Amino acid sequence: MSLSFILIPFVAAALLLLARPAATRQLALLATLANLAVTVYCFGCDYSQGMNCTFQAPWLPEAGISFSLGMDGVTLLMLLLTNLVSPLIVYGSWSRTYENEPRYYGLILLMIGALNGVFLATDGLLFYIFYELALIPIYFICAIWGGQDRIRITLKFFIYTFVGSLFMLLSLLYVYLQTPGGHSFAWSELVNVQLPAGTALWVMLGFFIAFAVKMPVFPLHTWQPDTYVAAPTGGTMLLSGIMLKMGTYGVIRWMMPLAPEAAHTLTPIFITLAITGIVYASIIAVKQTDFKRLIAYSSIAHVGLIAAGIFAWNKAGLQGSLIQMLNHGINVVGLFYISDLIERRMGTRTLGDMGGIAKSAPVFATLFMIVMLGSVAVPLTNGFPGEFLLLNGVWNYNFWAGLIAGLTIIFGAVYMLRAYGLAMFGEPGEQTSGFADLNTQERIMLGAISLLVIILGFFPGFILNLTDSTVNRILGAVQL
Amino acid sequence: MTALLILFFTALAALFAGLSKNRKSVQTISLAGSLLALASVVTGPVRGWDDMYASMFVFNDYAMAFSVVAILSAALILGLSGWGFRTLTSTLGDNYGLLLFSLCGALCMFSYTNLVMLFLGIEILSIPLYVLAGSRRDDLRSNEAALKYFLMGSFATGILLFGIALVYGSTASFDLSAIGAAAAQSASSSNMLKVGILLLVVGLSFKVSAAPFHFWAPDVYTGSPNLVTAFMATVVKTAGFAAFFTLFATAFAPAASVWTLPVSIIAGLTMTLANTTALFQDNFKRMMAYSSIAHAGYLLLAILSVENTSADRALMFYLLSYSIATICAFAVYIVVSEQKEDETFSAFNGLGKSHPFLALVLAISVLSLAGVPPFPGFFGKYFLFTAVFEKYPALVVLAVINSAISIYYYFKVIIAAYFHKGSESDTAVVIPGGIRLTVAVALILTAVLSAAPYLAFTLFFRH
Repeated sequence: MSLSFILIPFVAAALLLLARPAATRQLALLATLANLAVTVYCFGCDYSQGMNCTFQAPWLPEAGISFSLGMDGVTLLMLLLTNLVSPLIVYGSWSRTYENEPRYYGLILLMIGALNGVFLATDGLLFYIFYELALIPIYFICAIWGGQDRIRITLKFFIYTFVGSLFMLLSLLYVYLQTPGGHSFAWSELVNVQLPAGTALWVMLGFFIAFAVKMPVFPLHTWQPDTYVAAPTGGTMLLSGIMLKMGTYGVIRWMMPLAPEAAHTLTPIFITLAITGIVYASIIAVKQTDFKRLIAYSSIAHVGLIAAGIFAWNKAGLQGSLIQMLNHGINVVGLFYISDLIERRMGTRTLGDMGGIAKSAPVFATLFMIVMLGSVAVPLTNGFPGEFLLLNGVWNYNFWAGLIAGLTIIFGAVYMLRAYGLAMFGEPGEQTSGFADLNTQERIMLGAISLLVIILGFFPGFILNLTDSTVNRILGAVQL
Repeated sequence: MTALLILFFTALAALFAGLSKNRKSVQTISLAGSLLALASVVTGPVRGWDDMYASMFVFNDYAMAFSVVAILSAALILGLSGWGFRTLTSTLGDNYGLLLFSLCGALCMFSYTNLVMLFLGIEILSIPLYVLAGSRRDDLRSNEAALKYFLMGSFATGILLFGIALVYGSTASFDLSAIGAAAAQSASSSNMLKVGILLLVVGLSFKVSAAPFHFWAPDVYTGSPNLVTAFMATVVKTAGFAAFFTLFATAFAPAASVWTLPVSIIAGLTMTLANTTALFQDNFKRMMAYSSIAHAGYLLLAILSVENTSADRALMFYLLSYSIATICAFAVYIVVSEQKEDETFSAFNGLGKSHPFLALVLAISVLSLAGVPPFPGFFGKYFLFTAVFEKYPALVVLAVINSAISIYYYFKVIIAAYFHKGSESDTAVVIPGGIRLTVAVALILTAVLSAAPYLAFTLFFRH
């Protein structure tokens, strides 16, 4: 069962890249929907006793590496995120025609397979291999179909991320060498290793560098705005919707359980960095004139809050981060799709050039408003439960941290409403007066996302129930 | 031993077949002979030879495994030679013969148990290469390469001999195990032994192009004909490191305090110097030369972990994945640069559009050299670093940082192939059938090594 999450996208990608069939778009959408179906099927499994739906195949038994996959509530949520957002990404890409489409959709599917593998892996080296494997398709997507100056920017992105994860490899290697007997990379073995406080510090730092680059957390975030802007829309959606969650997932699954001894010393620093990132990125977002860049900075701010919630390591923080990972994925994909839509109609992303679009495209304005409110975390939208739980978690950790982190809501409202107002309201100019309203495909896409925003806002309990037992188990297992 | 004899007679046959000036027959004879030798190694040693030469040669699992790596690399290069040697007429048989003789020398270096045999192996490996490096007689750079290689190589051999003499003087034996026993007793007291060991380190470092004895490598690699460079980058490195490892694992392991510090400094220096210099190269062959030196730096880490029982397998796997990746990269380079007459990275411009298969092969081999998962190069680095991590964590961190630096210059190749525009004459570039077949075989091997790295180990260590 777990293997199908990886096999379906890889087989579809191989078909697309090698056989280049005619019905490229449909095949890609079919593959992602198949994955979603399997995910929904897995809702029924019981995750209260630990890993379920496991798959194990020996790979390098003498080196203690096995191809082992497993699912629990956290993994299920990440799979739901990936497999819910990927049909949206594929369908959203139908709006543009790309040169050499089989290659484009094939690379997207390759990446989805690798992302599923990251979330499913219960073997340390397998986790690392999938983590790095996900980099290769996104590098090619961004570099082939991207925007200005993409070669330099994507090379910087690749090297930055690769160097970060090499430090994670060193940490994994160290813990692996401490496992008893013929060493093993299995998660259960790695977690049982008791590290002395000094080395635990270095191990946790190694992991942190990798995940801090991926999420990104201030100050290792400098690659992100350029890369998000230079990437094609599908690439940006993959990066912001799913790929950055690899970092947050890694903290929950790998960093905290493997090196809890260093948590007391280091988590205050990590939370401070995360919260600094929130305020820093939000202030920059308020000043942005390029809509895509604004969303990129807002993403840093949102993920800063998610990271702070995880590092706080309490029930509210963890539950909040998990549900926010799902909802941020949905919202940010919606926002980037809207940005792409405007760019396709008007050829520009500059907010100053827009204005009064709501007059000629009321349906678009409505759906944009719903997604935007979801991003601002207005109650009854999907962004609210996550933000609330996260702020609760950070507040429980430290009063001042919670207070400063709370600024994210205010700033979020400022830059999002400013952008919306500049784009939608006011007098239409020559470019915007002829703004065509949504066609069918765009309606379906934005309609689906808006529906998700509203439904998940009204009924967040469904998601919280999925992860409840697992979060309890994780908190019980890793006592700080 | 059978493999050695097969290769020797194949070389002679190729020499004489060259008289017929029939390109096809010479290549077929050489390729058939090397594949026969490969088969004989894989099926196991023939009992009976061993007793005759027991004091000089031993054909154990170690020798068999490395022989497979070397003969496989040579077979792939011979597969490329149909096109690579297409301009040769009168010297055709000579080139094939010398290449195969050099391979025989490599086999000696895998199986030696006696220092005299080590010296003979090194000489048999190197002297044909001195000639081959200069085989483009009307190219000034080829002449320069041959002269530099010959002078530096002879100098290095001289140092090696002096070291051997001193070691003999202090331990009264050329045999590796006897030296090991003597070193265990007198390592701390005998200055002659210490100097001898250090001179051997220097001599062998010359041969594998480790810093600060690497200055000959970039010029020699750039000036030599392309196939000869490929041979030097793969088979010579394999032979050199296998010999290095045997020597230090068997003979000098008890004297570890003498040589571990120098070797670790050399390893760190090699990696850093080579990687940082490669960043500034425009010429693809020169970049590959520096990349080869950098890999030598990583491989020296295996020498530092001789007491680890799995270090020799890590070494073998690394050399196998590195050789296949280098040969693939050179295959694409040979096809493209010789037809476009461009030795820089811009020869690869537009390859993604005009020849997607070649571009894919190039991308895979370069990613494997950089150590990106899931390609075999990553596993090679992983096994190597795991073997060394406990005793030398700082060196592993340095190696990891250097791997990250190397991504920059390896990606220049991918960027040129996929993201730079080529010219209209690109489609005129033709891929000869022999090259296509060889590259396909190499690609299959890469895929197998990626999916099942342990297959490489179980295949070789069956006894």
